[in-house]
Amino acid sequence: MPSSEWVRPLTSQKPASAILEIDRVSQVFQTSARKEHLALSEISLTIEEGAFVSILGPSGCGKSTLLYIVGGFVSPTRGAAKMKGQAITGPGPDRGPVFQEFALFPWKTVLGNVMYGPRQRGVRATEAEAQSRALIEMVGLKGYENFYPKELSGGMKQRVALARTLAYHPQVLLMDEPFGALDAHTRTRLQNDLLNIWERDRKTVLFVTHSVDEAVFLSDKVVMMSNSPGRIREVIAIDLPRPRRRNELLLDPRYQKYVVDIERMFDESEEAGAPL
Amino acid sequence: MISPAALVKRTAPVLACIGLLAIWQVASLGLKSDSFPTATDAVRAIPDILGDKESLINILASLRRMAVGFGIAVLLSIPLGLLMGRSRAVSAFFNPLLMVIYPVPKAALMPIIMLWLGVGDITKTLVIFLGVSLPVIYHSFEGAKAVEEKMLWSGAAMGLSPLQCLVRIVLPAALPEILTGCRTGLVLALITMITSEMIARQSGAGNILFNALDMGQYDTVYAMIIIVGAMGICLDAVFERVRTRLVRWSEPQFDMPLSFS
Repeated sequence: MPSSEWVRPLTSQKPASAILEIDRVSQVFQTSARKEHLALSEISLTIEEGAFVSILGPSGCGKSTLLYIVGGFVSPTRGAAKMKGQAITGPGPDRGPVFQEFALFPWKTVLGNVMYGPRQRGVRATEAEAQSRALIEMVGLKGYENFYPKELSGGMKQRVALARTLAYHPQVLLMDEPFGALDAHTRTRLQNDLLNIWERDRKTVLFVTHSVDEAVFLSDKVVMMSNSPGRIREVIAIDLPRPRRRNELLLDPRYQKYVVDIERMFDESEEAGAPL
Repeated sequence: MISPAALVKRTAPVLACIGLLAIWQVASLGLKSDSFPTATDAVRAIPDILGDKESLINILASLRRMAVGFGIAVLLSIPLGLLMGRSRAVSAFFNPLLMVIYPVPKAALMPIIMLWLGVGDITKTLVIFLGVSLPVIYHSFEGAKAVEEKMLWSGAAMGLSPLQCLVRIVLPAALPEILTGCRTGLVLALITMITSEMIARQSGAGNILFNALDMGQYDTVYAMIIIVGAMGICLDAVFERVRTRLVRWSEPQFDMPLSFS
């Protein structure tokens, strides 16, 4: 499936400019004293501003590592990642992570968690609180402001985590299998809600997942990776109209074709790599 | 209206104490030994001790040493433990050192410390400090080590510096574990306090106890044991109150009351 076959999504009106550039990034992990594992090999990728890009691949293909490199949490062994032309040297509030493990601050209430970023950025308490309350309502948790994370379900925790990250207005959202730990029903609801939220302000999203239909449903572009070492196998533009509605999309033959084609590619990637 | 189950739960500690005193009373009446006074004699001796100015000054001096030793130990041990938990270099340096010191009874170091620093306050406070430090360091270390990496990454993405991450994320996240260490430390402070006064007999609650023993005033000996025990229970209960308030956000681990609070 040549990527040129797919035109850019109809919804992007302004000329797209690159916000993230990943330039020949390789990552080597020392697994033991003598052994090295090449997790990522010569990854080059450009991500345009306002795009929803999924990184899809079998487990162990280094997709999360790539996200951590963009986040500045991990330094690449070779190559470099750039944000708006500036080399990424560490974490920063322009790139907001959302993790599968939620990583909420358990000693803070829902409101305290969401306010943490704005307060750290120097926003006045009253203002930060008002913004945070609005965000909590947006992610559907109105009434839970004073709950502690331990009192919430997994899906609710991930909603808080999303609100906490959105609260400090990162230019790029880095989502690391955010719905991977949730049951199927909660996962579907959160995908729908994420799309609704995203369609309001079109923040750039880099979304790591191993679920093909999740990637197709959400993304403008799917970056298909293969295993051992992690390489980009194919970049597929998903030319489906927005706003996307699940009940319409599931019946759409174009959606179905994407899923089937990418699933086939996924199987081939796995076969190419180490046996599971 | 209190349910019978709640009534039993509330009165159980009191009933246990009364039961213990009753067994003591019966046993001592049966044995008729000079070195084993009755519970009533021992309890009757308590007001005499607490009413005596000299004894009270001694007990307060003990408590002061305990508070100073405990306080300094906690203030130094928590940062050290947290740093060890988050930095491989710091833990590589301190871990072997602490492994050697950990199993040594701190009272066994007293003779040496006495040689250097005499038998006064400094020696005793230092021994208390040593006794309290290790469990607090150990628990702070374990607590800091267990802090989820992604939680720190989330903080770093908001712009927290490594030091801010340590103070504003690692410290609160490890707090339940740190306070568990402090609670152990508090009991150890009481134990080392009495032991230090046994070895360096000059002042303090331990000194009253052992002077009474030397002079054969057995009811005073038992009364002092009750006083020290009550001090321990009260300190622990107050600490538990504070602790549960501070870590209400964390998972409740036990349903059983673990103290008399």
